[in-house]
Amino acid sequence: MSDAALKSASERAAAVVQIRNLVYAWPNQDPVIVIPELNLARGEKVFLAGPSGSGKSTLLGLVGGVLMASAGEIIINEQPLGEMSAAARDRYRSDHVGFVFQLFNLLPYLSVIENVTLTCRFSTRRAERALQQSNSIEQEAERLLHHLGITAELMRRRVTELSIGQQQRVAAARALIGAPELLIADEPTSALDHDLRKRFIDLLLSECEAANSAVLFVSHDVSLGPLFDRQIALAEINEAAASLEPNYA
Amino acid sequence: MHSFATIIGLAQKSLRNRASTALLTILSIAISLALLVGVERIRSEARGSFANTISGTDLIVGARGGDINLLLYSVFRIGNATNNVSWESYQDIASQNAVEWSIPISLGDSHRGFRVMGTNTDYFRYYSFGNKRKLEFAQGRPFAEVFDTVLGADVAAELGYALGDSIVIAHGAGSTSFLNHDDKPFTVTGILKKTGTPVDRTVHVSLEGIEAIHIDWQSGARVPGQSTSAERALQMDLQPAAITAFLLGLKSRIATFSLLREINEYPQEPLLAIIPGVTLQQLWELLGVVEIALLVVSICVVIAGLIGMLTSILTSLNERRREMAILRAVGARPWHLLLLLISESTLLAALGALLGMAVVVGATALSANMLEQRFGIFVAVRWPNAFEWLIAGIVVLAAAVVSLWPAWRAYRNALADGLTIRT
Repeated sequence: MSDAALKSASERAAAVVQIRNLVYAWPNQDPVIVIPELNLARGEKVFLAGPSGSGKSTLLGLVGGVLMASAGEIIINEQPLGEMSAAARDRYRSDHVGFVFQLFNLLPYLSVIENVTLTCRFSTRRAERALQQSNSIEQEAERLLHHLGITAELMRRRVTELSIGQQQRVAAARALIGAPELLIADEPTSALDHDLRKRFIDLLLSECEAANSAVLFVSHDVSLGPLFDRQIALAEINEAAASLEPNYA
Repeated sequence: MHSFATIIGLAQKSLRNRASTALLTILSIAISLALLVGVERIRSEARGSFANTISGTDLIVGARGGDINLLLYSVFRIGNATNNVSWESYQDIASQNAVEWSIPISLGDSHRGFRVMGTNTDYFRYYSFGNKRKLEFAQGRPFAEVFDTVLGADVAAELGYALGDSIVIAHGAGSTSFLNHDDKPFTVTGILKKTGTPVDRTVHVSLEGIEAIHIDWQSGARVPGQSTSAERALQMDLQPAAITAFLLGLKSRIATFSLLREINEYPQEPLLAIIPGVTLQQLWELLGVVEIALLVVSICVVIAGLIGMLTSILTSLNERRREMAILRAVGARPWHLLLLLISESTLLAALGALLGMAVVVGATALSANMLEQRFGIFVAVRWPNAFEWLIAGIVVLAAAVVSLWPAWRAYRNALADGLTIRT
């Protein structure tokens, strides 16, 4: 066995995400996703460059367990998603995956702390893991927020009074509370200024490092790529991308 | 699991965040429910108090006119007689063998908005209401002298009269009159116990008293230059020439119909006799249409209230797709979103129902007096009864059922949108 093959095998064993021969097609349409292989190692930080039309949102829906693969498999923490019931996939998502979206990640009617701890209300596992770090879930939320540069004064504000950059950091804290194995970030910096982008990603990555969470960071802004362990162009690994409509989101 | 409590908590906070629309929705449900319950309350109370106003009277006799009109003025003190019954006819009919007792009634005057009724002491012996209850005195005794008066419970309470007080009767039935019989005041000798019928709002005097105060009057106006003192009036013959109506109690009810026919075909004078129960029934049939119309209208208002709520939920749904996606991302199951929307609308409807009940209690407290004075309907001020709570419960349930539609749409959206935030 070659060195490369050995490395690949050990990576697989420690992988958080393993994708094999994944195919996804919307009903009565041609496939939008055809990915022969994609692995994410534990704690690995991957930049996925995905312009419009590369099937990015669909891929995140599949990895998040909201969409079901038409063929092939997605294995998260050695658990094949395809074998799970819808309820089990919802539980898996809240237990093992944190999400940060492009914009408007927060519920306007909850406080900053309540937004962060929301995850723990749906996942006992995340709540337990948060309690391993701090004395209470709220304290753990404060600790994460503090690390992400949200001051105590900001924590008391209504979420709608926070700047977009601050809102994204609160969203990152919510995604990271209870140390999920995987953090999925879908264009989380596209609404931020250039200077803020780098700072946000640095904070996010160092917190992921601390929680030992793997990161799947999706963006069309390839200039951010070098900040990550590995860069992948979705258009290259997705064999269906070439045939897609250019304006497909 | 505790996610149920989480969802209810989210529903509360989400509503508080949309306080102004939530408040308007609560208000519209409250008003529509208050209308429905209020109409129902007035309906049942009115039916109860109407049916309880008179009992034990077999026939009511007045000048020929409408059945219902006769019932209204003789029993409910609503409206006026168009004509009188002559004293001779009254005596003739009242002395028939089948008649056990009779009560003459003479109307047309008032005291500070309360109707004055001339009668005799048989009224206190024979008149009964509700479940054959007789009139009872709270204080004092029946009138004995010409210028004695017995007050209904409300008259005494509202005007603050006590035994021995002196009152002046006004000519005509209006609440303000410029024509007063102030030369012949009456002395309060008795106050009746509360009956919950128009008796409470009546000033009772003797027929002779009515006659005495009208000595110098002709065709509803004082004859100029003529003045007879109270002392002189007492010396005169005060037998009335006519009365407004009279009530009859018969020895046997079997005789009711033959006497009814006899009176209706009375040759000396055009008279009308009615059986109170039958005419009450006719009145209800007449009011029944209005009653049903009111009920239908108020049910429609409730439906409009629920549609208003549905509209506000449906319009908010699109802007809340993002919220749903966030909840899905943190692990909410699609049925959690279903539950969120159902519990929001149920909460709105429940708050609306509570407010509506408060409105009903408040409105009856404020309007009970007016309803009693103007329409003779005695609406008790009380907390909602089991039936009214049932109506409120049905409205809340209907709100929950109606919200299944937007909830189902949110559920379907959640499945279709997944984690994609569509804005």
